[in-house]
Amino acid sequence: MRLGRPSRALLPGLLSVAAMLLVWTVASQLTDRPQTLPAPWHVAARIAGLAASGELWLNAGMTLFRVAASFALAMVVGMGLGLWMGRSRAADDWLNPGLIILLNVPALVVIVLCYIWIGLNETAAILAVALNKIPVVTVMIREGTRALRPDLDDMARAFRMAPLPRLRHVVLPQLAPQIAASARAGISLIWKIVLVVEFLGRSNGVGFKIHLLFSSFDVTGVLAWALAFVAVMLAIDLFLLRPLESRANRWRQDAA
Amino acid sequence: MRLDLQGKSFGSRAVLGPLSLTVGRGERLAVLGPSGIGKSTLLRILAGLDSDYRGRLQGGDRLAVVFQEPVLLPWRDAVGNITLPTGCDAAVARDWMAQVGLAGHEDKFPRQLSLGQQRRLALARAFAAGPDILLMDEPFASLDEDTRARMLALTGALLDRSGAGLVLVTHDPAEAQALAARPLHLSGSPARLQND
Repeated sequence: MRLGRPSRALLPGLLSVAAMLLVWTVASQLTDRPQTLPAPWHVAARIAGLAASGELWLNAGMTLFRVAASFALAMVVGMGLGLWMGRSRAADDWLNPGLIILLNVPALVVIVLCYIWIGLNETAAILAVALNKIPVVTVMIREGTRALRPDLDDMARAFRMAPLPRLRHVVLPQLAPQIAASARAGISLIWKIVLVVEFLGRSNGVGFKIHLLFSSFDVTGVLAWALAFVAVMLAIDLFLLRPLESRANRWRQDAA
Repeated sequence: MRLDLQGKSFGSRAVLGPLSLTVGRGERLAVLGPSGIGKSTLLRILAGLDSDYRGRLQGGDRLAVVFQEPVLLPWRDAVGNITLPTGCDAAVARDWMAQVGLAGHEDKFPRQLSLGQQRRLALARAFAAGPDILLMDEPFASLDEDTRARMLALTGALLDRSGAGLVLVTHDPAEAQALAARPLHLSGSPARLQND
């Protein structure tokens, strides 16, 4: 039964993508200005060209590096803060206002300020993206931490487990659903912000390329870059995040 | 291990009055009393899980606790549930599992075990910690008559073999008798210990 599930879920998914492609094709043929909405095959040809010239890999690689760095930074800091605020009332009382402010500052403002204060460099770019994501991770992990099982906590203390094994074997497994959810939600949010950061102040990456194409109103190019990178992110979700998630949840599934 | 307690309260409600309690290797005590009297609170103080009391706890004995519920890590198999909290190696864990009659279940996750098996696993975990004194909080409650009798016999045998001391918290004097534990009654408000 478990084998049958993915293939059954695959068919409607493929059909819905095909339907979207069909709508796109029809719309592109109906419009009389192909510059505003190019046909799918023009975009595909552009992607192939970019891939062949190596330009795609260089810029997608830079963007991916920024996504990975800011994702890692946001997850580590967000989990640390979330655990602390979930465990300590005092920490929560003191840090919560800052958290709410940061949650509501527009991403663009954080990016602009980081570039002005730190400079137009990689550190500012990665920090700006991470700062946008940290509060979201913190809030999710804090909620999870508040729901930690007190009996397991007692057990770990009664057996005098050291802090690190306790974190790894008792606390983090209980937070696995929150960690997985914030990682999933995070990765898609982060790559969108990374593009804005690159658009505003970097000289390579997918966002930078889109910036150049925007100034020449090259819609084919914009769509080619966007779709190529969406494909990369989907591949990461499918082949990296999902297997990790199902491995972390293995103990839930195999009942007697 | 020696506890000199002057008092323990939750908010303004005094739960435990002045009492003192000494236990060492090979000694067995049972703390008896009706539910809600503060037995579990006393055990939590002894286990070092509750340090918000007036009094003094002395002694560097190695302790292990068997809780009312098995309290296992659901995401770890049976062997992992012994090695991770106690820090013993896998061979020792397997050996203790065999001693509580769980040989063959090493790779199972807690939810694949029956409640009786989970309790035996919790008992194996406690002994694997190599305790000088075993602290047990109503470990036989909610078990059927047969399982309870077997658990009692098993616990007694393992205590004999390891030479560990015991503080058993229970509402049932028969359990204290079965484990040859000296009964102490907790009664009154705030509760104090009375020797039989």
